[in-house]
Amino acid sequence: MTITVPKRRWPSAAVWAAVAVFLAVHVLAWQATEFSPAALIAGWEGMADFLAESLPPDFSVLGKSLEAAVITLYIGLLGTTFSIPFALVLALLASRATTSAAWAQQAARAVLSFLRSVPDVVFALIFVTAVGLGPFAGVLALVFHNTGVMGKLWAEAMDESDRGPRDALRVTGASGPQIALHAVLPTVLPSLAGLLLYRLDVNVRSSLVLGLVGAGGIGFLINQSIKLFRFDEMVTHILVVLLLVVVVDQASAFVRKRLGA
Amino acid sequence: MLAIRGLRKSFGGRTVLDGFDLSVEPGEFVALLGPNGSGKSTALRCVVGLETPDGGEIDVSGNAAMVFQKIHLVGRRNALDNVCSGALGRLPLHRSLVFGQDVREEAMRCLDRVGLADRALDRCARLSGGQQQRVAIARALCQRANVILADEPVSALDPQAAVQVMELLVDLASEGLAVVAVLHQPELARTYAHRIVEMRTAVAA
Repeated sequence: MTITVPKRRWPSAAVWAAVAVFLAVHVLAWQATEFSPAALIAGWEGMADFLAESLPPDFSVLGKSLEAAVITLYIGLLGTTFSIPFALVLALLASRATTSAAWAQQAARAVLSFLRSVPDVVFALIFVTAVGLGPFAGVLALVFHNTGVMGKLWAEAMDESDRGPRDALRVTGASGPQIALHAVLPTVLPSLAGLLLYRLDVNVRSSLVLGLVGAGGIGFLINQSIKLFRFDEMVTHILVVLLLVVVVDQASAFVRKRLGA
Repeated sequence: MLAIRGLRKSFGGRTVLDGFDLSVEPGEFVALLGPNGSGKSTALRCVVGLETPDGGEIDVSGNAAMVFQKIHLVGRRNALDNVCSGALGRLPLHRSLVFGQDVREEAMRCLDRVGLADRALDRCARLSGGQQQRVAIARALCQRANVILADEPVSALDPQAAVQVMELLVDLASEGLAVVAVLHQPELARTYAHRIVEMRTAVAA
């Protein structure tokens, strides 16, 4: 008996074509973004001047900076917690685990997609025209954008929940809302809490950027010091931002680990 | 109590049930035996509405509850809350946010009936498999079921726990419930069931 070695399989023409397209797109992107290491090397003096002006940091603004960082934290916090009720209702409507009517699912998903696709900075610019410059516009912007993102993440967590307990309650004659309340929510609660903390972490970082467009907090101070060419103050603000981000990130990771989500 | 006549069901052209008949009286414990794919579980799922039959008649006088092989309790909630949820079908939405004292008392009696009143506040995930299945039976009792359909209730349990669950089901039948259990162990069926129904694989259509 002879053993035949299976024929070696080389990548097909389709794979080679995909690689060629991949490379071609990168060449186009290189050109369109005016990517140029030469320009970076030629302009190194500009960066050096910038760094020389910004060092050493001016720590006289540290108090003001820390105060503003707390505002930034508060914007992220309220933006996250105030979006909970909206995200929860939309997630319950959008998940196939809790809603059987296809039209309601589609409608809720459309609302979530819209809220998610409008960047929070755009929402902030809109709300600044309504309530003026300041942290309140930032909170409103985060509530709207975060409802879209968190609602989708929550709906997905509900979709993935075990079907068994839902079926078991359906047999007892429980209605859709009763099943959501007594089978789905108790099962997914740790995942929802974990996603909430993850979003808090992201939202605190977003509220920095919102500050740049006038929504208060430490982002606003960074913007101000750049406009006044006070780069030494800016570095102090950035160090405070670093501290804030690390603290929130670690706290959120710690609680999520404890939740096991 | 439970009467099934001419039940038909097929999945994607594969006929699983082709004219299945079964009637069960109050106080009777019927075991369904048969190879995989002979439609035992499908028949039970049609009775409680988890599957829609293609044809045939199903009459239940009263209320049918189901007990599953995989038990399907909410593991993060305690036994009492899980048993209370059996009452949801008769509670309006505004009374099902938080279970009232009357429901909790009834659920405690059901838990006591299956011998687990002392574990009422334990999370179900921390109970043994046999205890979890008894909590699931208590949930069926809290549903005020007079028909209990058990889909391989002991297949995932160790022999000792299996005997406890089987004895509980027989006792409930002797108290006047109609019990139908899909079993994979013929010796358990011969020991406990009043009547054994053998199901054959339906003829391919």
